Amino acid sequence: MKVLAAGVVPLLLVLHWRHGAGSPLPITPVNATCAIRHPCHNNLMNQIRSQLAQLNGSANALFILYYTAQGEPFPNNLDKLCGPNVTDFPPFHANGTEKARLVELYRIVVYLGTALGNITRDQKILNPSALSLHSKLNATADILRGLLSNVLCRLCSKYHVAHVDVTYGPDTSGKDVFQKKKLGCQLLGKYKQVIGVLAQAF
Amino acid sequence: MALFEVFQTTFFLALLSLRTYQSEVLAERLPLTPVSLKVSTNSARQSLHLQWTVQNLPYHQELKMVFQIQISRIETSNVIWVGNYSTTVKWNQVLHWSWESELPLECATHFVRIKSAVDDARFPEPNFWSNWSSWEEVNVQDSLGQDILFVFPKDKLVEEGANVTICYVSRNIQNNVSCYWEGQQIYGEQLDPHVSVFHLSSVPFIRKTGADMYCEVSQGNVSKGIKGIVLFVSKVLEEPKDFSCETQDFKTLHCTWDPGVDTALGWSKQPSQSYTLFESFSGEKKLCTHKNWCNWQITQDSQETYNFTLIAENYLRKRSVNILFNLTHQVYPMNPFSVNFENVNVTNAIMTWKVHSMKNNFTYLCQIEVYCEGKMMQYNVSVKVNGEYLLSELEPATEYMAQVRCADASHFWKWSQWSGQKFTTLEAAPSEAPDVWRNVNSEPGSHIVTLFWKPLSKLHANGKILFYNVVVENLDKPSRAEIHSIPAPAKSTKLTLDRHSYQIWVTANNSVGASPASVIVISADPENQEVEEERIVDTEGGFSLSWKPQPGDVVGYVVDWCDHPQYTLCDLQWKNVDPNATSTVISTDAFRPGVRYNFRIYGLSTKRIARLLEKKTGYSQELAPSDNPHVLVDKLTSHSFTLSWKYYSTESQPGFIQGYHVYLKSKARQCHPRFEKAVLSDGSECCKYKIDNPEEKALIVDNLKPKSFYEFFVTPFTSAGEGPNATFTKVTTPDEHSSMLIYILLPMFFCVLLIMIVCYLKSQWIKETCYPDIPDPYKSSILSLIKFKEKPHLTIMNVSDCIPDAIEVVSKPEGTKIQFRKSLTETDLTQPNYLYLLPTEKNYCGPGPFICFENLTYNQAASDSGSCGHVPVPLQPSPSQLGLMISPENVQKALEKNYMNSLGEISAGETSLNYVSQLASPMSGDKDSLPTNPVEPPHCSEYKRQMAVPLCLASPPPTENSSLSSITLLNPGEHYR
Repeated sequence: MKVLAAGVVPLLLVLHWRHGAGSPLPITPVNATCAIRHPCHNNLMNQIRSQLAQLNGSANALFILYYTAQGEPFPNNLDKLCGPNVTDFPPFHANGTEKARLVELYRIVVYLGTALGNITRDQKILNPSALSLHSKLNATADILRGLLSNVLCRLCSKYHVAHVDVTYGPDTSGKDVFQKKKLGCQLLGKYKQVIGVLAQAF
Repeated sequence: MALFEVFQTTFFLALLSLRTYQSEVLAERLPLTPVSLKVSTNSARQSLHLQWTVQNLPYHQELKMVFQIQISRIETSNVIWVGNYSTTVKWNQVLHWSWESELPLECATHFVRIKSAVDDARFPEPNFWSNWSSWEEVNVQDSLGQDILFVFPKDKLVEEGANVTICYVSRNIQNNVSCYWEGQQIYGEQLDPHVSVFHLSSVPFIRKTGADMYCEVSQGNVSKGIKGIVLFVSKVLEEPKDFSCETQDFKTLHCTWDPGVDTALGWSKQPSQSYTLFESFSGEKKLCTHKNWCNWQITQDSQETYNFTLIAENYLRKRSVNILFNLTHQVYPMNPFSVNFENVNVTNAIMTWKVHSMKNNFTYLCQIEVYCEGKMMQYNVSVKVNGEYLLSELEPATEYMAQVRCADASHFWKWSQWSGQKFTTLEAAPSEAPDVWRNVNSEPGSHIVTLFWKPLSKLHANGKILFYNVVVENLDKPSRAEIHSIPAPAKSTKLTLDRHSYQIWVTANNSVGASPASVIVISADPENQEVEEERIVDTEGGFSLSWKPQPGDVVGYVVDWCDHPQYTLCDLQWKNVDPNATSTVISTDAFRPGVRYNFRIYGLSTKRIARLLEKKTGYSQELAPSDNPHVLVDKLTSHSFTLSWKYYSTESQPGFIQGYHVYLKSKARQCHPRFEKAVLSDGSECCKYKIDNPEEKALIVDNLKPKSFYEFFVTPFTSAGEGPNATFTKVTTPDEHSSMLIYILLPMFFCVLLIMIVCYLKSQWIKETCYPDIPDPYKSSILSLIKFKEKPHLTIMNVSDCIPDAIEVVSKPEGTKIQFRKSLTETDLTQPNYLYLLPTEKNYCGPGPFICFENLTYNQAASDSGSCGHVPVPLQPSPSQLGLMISPENVQKALEKNYMNSLGEISAGETSLNYVSQLASPMSGDKDSLPTNPVEPPHCSEYKRQMAVPLCLASPPPTENSSLSSITLLNPGEHYR
């Protein structure tokens, strides 16, 4: 729990406090008014679509880079070790209203953001020489942060949503190396799968 | 002294008594049983940690004891390890001991018990063991959690080559568990229904991020989950190699070594090995920050000897190497500096340098190396502070590279790095005359002399050659010598000399002076070109040339040739040969296969006059001919033809032409006598004739069949083979009789032509002879028909018997003749004009009288009744009559019939007969005699067309109107208009 408090919560705070990210939703009271530091762009949805497309375009490469860097048996046992079997992954319903979809997107991006942060941290220790993987993970995390900011803006400005309950990606700090590698692979597999659906839905 | 001995003895006895008492006391308290045994685990290290105390130990007593420890696995009776642990035990001391399990502790329950015994020298009697402590159970499995599968050990660090035991714990024995090591399934042994173990022997290093093993639990075909471990396999730490220390300034020791492989692993499981330097004399230690070198500060001037230990260490192993040395023996001097050259002249230079000062009386041994064009000279010199060395025997105008390095002269350890500089010696006059040769082309009244010289070698040039001086002196008549200065780098010059002997001096000049002169004499006599050329063969080393020794004084021989004879600038080369030699070998990389090289061998007289002795020619490698001759075919007859290729050049071929192959193809299977059968490259057969003389460039191919098809192909051959393949040329022999026909037909043609010419010239005579305008009735063939009918009473009326009524001769001027002709052409040809000799009232139709004759031979009446008193009958030839004309018999019959009819008519009505003479025909040859204006009216006269009967009966009228003639047999009284 201490690790959770020390690792994930500050990470989320950083995510939300970045430029244009708006107020940190999880700590906003239910009845609080939606306050945004900066005015939102007019073409927010276009930006969201563009960011989703960008993530969708690089997700597969990131996945390949990840499992290749882990070495055997990962590349040859993707279905067993990297299957997208992430139980607590936030759901998404593509046929919902835009507001509902945006709320679900928000949850997914928060989840992925924390998961990606953990994966990045683990890989920097386990694979210190896999620089291209680190770079790709960082780039993806950057885009996710921007996407989160835009989704928040949209929710706030159009739907006046000030609070969304979120779940975070699994904390791997207490797990053994194999579990970290496997969990990272599963998460990136899930990310690759879900980002395609999201890009289609918007 | 005795008192002292007594006291000592008493003291020892007392002490012995005391110890005996103590032992008795201890023995009484024994056994000393280990109590409070506690066992804890360290999963990462797979170790059991025991701690216990010893009961009954006297207060503040120390006692050496031995503890026996038993470890069982799964159940107490399954003892897997028994060992003793000896230690000195104090009162109330908690004892610790660890045991490392090869099996992960999570895989099985372990049991531990302990017993002890006194192992102290103070108790010499036989020891006896205490009772065993109770079994302590160690069960880690209970704390694992609720997962269905566990794999152990997690993230274990081992060294390459170690044996590793891995196990899994499955919660449900119904589940099927498959395990994979680096993707390959492995099979273990079952420890209990829930636990299986896998023994990996001598695990290899796979990657720094560890090797993976995972197990998949499934029920049926449904995967229930995957669990795995990462085994971090480290490379074996190597002992540092080439460990040494040295100093450059007696202040710092620089130690270096080869670290070997890096044993770092990912996940910070193991960092790179660390290196520590330990000096035993000073007892100082230093952790090195670099993996292959470390600096050690020399703090004590007095310490000369050092004993260094280099310790390499990682999590699994420690290695060390040791060196012991004297500091003064490990001096690695710094580089010399301020390298300079003084007093540089043509062959000498003084090299100076400085060295860094060390201790007092420190002497350097310095080594100098001087490089020049691949050559190296080496000198050694002893130096205190400033070095100096005289470099001698240098080449003029040469750039040298000189460098120096130094070492400790007393105890050689290492040379310093090189320090060097370049310098160039001064120029000197060229030391050798240039090698000169000439090529003389004689022209009427002059010699064109081309002088060639080879550039002086660097050794002899002694500097940069600036120009060549060529001095030409006439030997036959005194005159001023001509001087030509040829700037370098020219290698030749051309001189035009008259037909006198000349002596030529050539010198090479640089900035300092001129070289010795090279002398050559051009004789006034033209060069002897009538030397027979001899063929030579290139051996492996080049062309081997030999010549007959020359009588008289010969100071040497020169062989010249062209490296590129195929070009205009053929790059003349020459080689000087000793006067005693009569052979030499010419070899150069310039020689190419398929190129003919011509060598001329000259003898040099004492007067430096060159005389051509022999000529040689050859190929470095002969090739097959590059082209085939263009063959002409001539003298083609029905039985032979001649092939000739007289313009084919044998000189420009890539080999000596040895002859020609003539291939001949024909339909005949058999070859001609001189030919032999040959098979071509395409497999077809033909006949081949070989000509062995390359100058024989014609071949008569005979014994051929007339009007036959032949193909031939001529190709030259050298020792390397034939010329290129080409298409065969086709020849067809003419018919045997065609020539004969020509012999016959040609004269005939000329005869006919002659006859025609004669006929043309004598046409008038022929006409008069053969077909006069007025035929002689007595000569008519009709007579023969009449005779055939045997009617002898019929007679031919003689013109003389006919007394014309009137004859008017119209005089015709010349101009009217033309007019008449015109009127004839303008008048409708269907309206013939008649000359009426028997004028009637009816037939008067013009201003003048007309004469009308009728030739009874033709039995034709005047066509125009109006003009000649005949009743006009429409021209309607009956089909039967036309049909009769088809066969000659019918024609004959018809003629006979008509003739008879006409004779009958003549006899019946002679008063109406008109004699129409052919002479009166307006189309006769005597047209000039016709009246000038006889054509008014147009129907006043008519020319009666004669029948186209056999030649003897009638002749076609030679008029323009003949085109309108109709071959019709007319009935009496019928008119054809």
